[in-house]
Amino acid sequence: MAGNKLLLIGLVQALLVLVVAPFFTGFSRTLRAKLHSRKGPGILQNYRDIFKLIKRQEVVPAQASWVFRFTPYIVMATTLLMAMIIPILILQSPLGMAADLIAVVYLFAVFRFFFALAGLDSGSGFAGIGASREMALAVLVEPTIILVLFVVALLAGSTDLGTISQKVAAGEISYYSPAVWLGMAAFAIATFVETGKLPFDLAEAEQEIQEGPLTEYSGRSLAILKWSLYMKQVVAIALFLAVFFPFGSAAVVSASSLLVSVATFLLKVAGFYVVAALLENGMARLLLFKTPAVTWVAFGIALLSFVFYLANV
Amino acid sequence: MIVQQLFLLSILLYIAGAVASLALNRAGKMANYASGISAFAAAIAGMASAIPVFARGTGFTMEAVGVIPFARLIFQADIFSAFMVLVISLLAAATAIYSLSYQEEYIGRGAGVLGFLNNLFLASMVLVVTSGNAFYFLIFWELMTLASYFLVSFEQENQEAVQAGFLYFLVAHAGTAMIMLSFFIFFLYTGSFDFASFRSANLSPVTKNLAFLLAFFGFGAKAGIIPLHIWLPRAHPAAPSNVSALLSGVMIKTAIYGILRVGVDFLGSSVWWWGLTVLAFGAISAVLGVLYAISENDLKRLLAYSSIENVGIILMGAGVGMMGVASGQPVLGVLGLLAGLYHLINHAVFKGLLFLGAGSVIYRLHTKNMEEMGGLARQMPWTGFTFLAGALGISAIPPLNGFVSEWFIYQSLFMAGTGGILAVKVLSPLFAVMLALTGALAAMCFVKAYGVTFAGTSRSVRAQEAREVPVPMLAGMAILAAGCIILGLGAPVVAPYIANVSSALLGASPVRVSDGLLVFPASGSQAILSPPLLALLLVGLVTLPLLIVALQGGMQAGRRMDSEPWACGYKYSPRMVYASSAFAQPLRVLFRSAYWLRTAMEGPGYAIASYGKGAMAYVARMESMWEDYIYGPLARGTVHLGKRVQALQMGNVRLYCVYIIVTLVALLIATVR
Repeated sequence: MAGNKLLLIGLVQALLVLVVAPFFTGFSRTLRAKLHSRKGPGILQNYRDIFKLIKRQEVVPAQASWVFRFTPYIVMATTLLMAMIIPILILQSPLGMAADLIAVVYLFAVFRFFFALAGLDSGSGFAGIGASREMALAVLVEPTIILVLFVVALLAGSTDLGTISQKVAAGEISYYSPAVWLGMAAFAIATFVETGKLPFDLAEAEQEIQEGPLTEYSGRSLAILKWSLYMKQVVAIALFLAVFFPFGSAAVVSASSLLVSVATFLLKVAGFYVVAALLENGMARLLLFKTPAVTWVAFGIALLSFVFYLANV
Repeated sequence: MIVQQLFLLSILLYIAGAVASLALNRAGKMANYASGISAFAAAIAGMASAIPVFARGTGFTMEAVGVIPFARLIFQADIFSAFMVLVISLLAAATAIYSLSYQEEYIGRGAGVLGFLNNLFLASMVLVVTSGNAFYFLIFWELMTLASYFLVSFEQENQEAVQAGFLYFLVAHAGTAMIMLSFFIFFLYTGSFDFASFRSANLSPVTKNLAFLLAFFGFGAKAGIIPLHIWLPRAHPAAPSNVSALLSGVMIKTAIYGILRVGVDFLGSSVWWWGLTVLAFGAISAVLGVLYAISENDLKRLLAYSSIENVGIILMGAGVGMMGVASGQPVLGVLGLLAGLYHLINHAVFKGLLFLGAGSVIYRLHTKNMEEMGGLARQMPWTGFTFLAGALGISAIPPLNGFVSEWFIYQSLFMAGTGGILAVKVLSPLFAVMLALTGALAAMCFVKAYGVTFAGTSRSVRAQEAREVPVPMLAGMAILAAGCIILGLGAPVVAPYIANVSSALLGASPVRVSDGLLVFPASGSQAILSPPLLALLLVGLVTLPLLIVALQGGMQAGRRMDSEPWACGYKYSPRMVYASSAFAQPLRVLFRSAYWLRTAMEGPGYAIASYGKGAMAYVARMESMWEDYIYGPLARGTVHLGKRVQALQMGNVRLYCVYIIVTLVALLIATVR
């Protein structure tokens, strides 16, 4: 496929994630409210929050430097770039000629790096706690993510996300292999952590891990940062789907097939959120120092998946 | 011909700078300029002599008149040596400019001597990597060690620096002894000290292993691989900061040069577990090095520990490469070595930059303790900016340079995982996991390093009153910050050259690693990366949120400065800011076992009699276990042995006569037989 056309699809993907991200987090909030037998906010509440915030005056602590002010924009650009690389609508990475899955994993690090740095830059103690925990959590899940992705990449013979998607969709990498479904389980846990879900983080609560660095943000910066956080959730889910559930994405590009893949993508993400909401409701927030118990399990599953890969080949 | 002359000119300029600086010691400022300017000129000459070697792909050999009858003074610069000369000269140039201002601190405290040692140190490093004779190699190696020893303990009034220097001296010489033994094995088999004949040495398998292991651990002591690292986090911070930049940035790389010279060039990397050994020691050093770095409160010690991590990463690349060669996969060999060498030059650039940045902070604040810093990005914006560039580079943030080299390491590990020896196949994804862990830890470490030093609130009066450093210091840092960006975004241009170095070193056929704006590991079907494209897209995509804000009228809303951050309704105080040890606390708890953390109560104790004798303290001691369990017993054993040997020395003249007679008789018997 021509490079221009792919780049265009990449931009469509980025815009799609940009547009639907607040919807999905709103959806998740509503679901959880229903499970709590609360009325809860409307599904579109996050859009209203964002657009209201953008118009508000911004209050910046005098201590903060340019890092604090630029972070929201850097962070959003990074998420948009990730949305362009991950195969969301087609079975090919729109930016396959520029980046592979290792680049995506490291782009998540860019997000975290600036997000945590902005927290420290604000000079607030709460933001500092959030920043420290955000980075510590990454240390716990990163090994699992890389191991699972490495196993899948070894199965596909390439670290290109498009190639992996194609091979999974075509059944060349089969679900019957324990390596794949164990990897899927481990990666699901890692995605769960990356999206800031309950046992690890309560993204909605003030003073929690993700909200920590946000403490001093307000106005348009807060709007952009919150939006980026929503997008990061969708992007993390999209990565999971691209590797393990690429079905429904268009193999050939045409208007109708793209529409179908948009619909299936939205359905798949919604499915993830439903499962996540159910799980979240069954759990209480975990003490940070207790999280290794869970992440070690995830890493153990990933290791098992690798062992099965070795046994098969 | 011109290349050789430029090379000689470079060495002569270093020596001239050293002599002039020493001669002008009384006139501190002049000495300073003499050493700085000549070092800069020498570095430029060094680069000018190295670049043609790259362009042509052929090196040069030069035989000079030696003073030692049995060893020839040969300078031999193949493409690998030229690469090392380039790396050394690049950092030398940046630090030379930087030190023009920085060394003014030392006027009246031996600025001339500092300049003398500095130039000598630089010259010796260049000579080490171009020497073509084992004997002279060792002389230059010793010169390098001595010059750096005096630089480490330069601040004589500082007890810590003197002790650090002594420890460095001991470990370095233990290492040198092993290197000597390794070279001696070659000498026994070839009867010559020339590197050229070492290459064709026909060693038996056992001696081969022995020669390699001796060289690996001998050079490894200099490189600071764990567990031979204990001197490094003390010695590197003790030196003046421009010297620290050289110690961490390039000196430890000469050890990597040595490992590769012996393991790959002389011995052909013929045994597969050599590569695995290098890889394993690299991986362990990487993970533990960065773990120790995170919990440091001393900025320069943090950077020094991080050097252990990066040496580990370099060795991981080199190890994969060596395994590739040994298992008959030349492409993997080239790729692994490319990754290692790429990280080598990257680390020289960003660690040099970070040490210079730390030096700038210390120049103004006169403290290395990060808890007393904070908020410096406002008073020292350029220092802050360049330091951030280095921090991003070292945290492997795409599209900067650290990311590109780590990407290549991942790719070579991936390739190693797809085929070949079973053990390699099993282990390489696990090494990738260790690299991922290192990456996440490094990001945390440098969020802390930048965040606690430059971001947020000033936590001391000196930090509040800090000013930007003089222009020469900024210029030195700016060169290296530009290097971080160029080596990252320019990967498609840089990678092929480094691939040439690695294929030349292996004697393998060249491997294609780039095309247009793309880099790839030998074939595009495995993976493709384009740092310039990523950078372009990132910059382009930043406009999107800006556009959204502008369209929604967010720009008119304006911005108000608030004097203090939120503090739960209490009065805000800078002491509330999350500082260095607090930031690292989760990791200290999570990785308690890896830290070998020991906590203890110190002070008077619980007894009633001790009341009123001062406060008790709760101290957490880290990492002393290496010393407690390995180095302590070793030192005690040596002292014990020494005491036993002392028994020979009775002070009785008649006994000494017996010794002499016994020796003579033994020698007579030996010669007669």
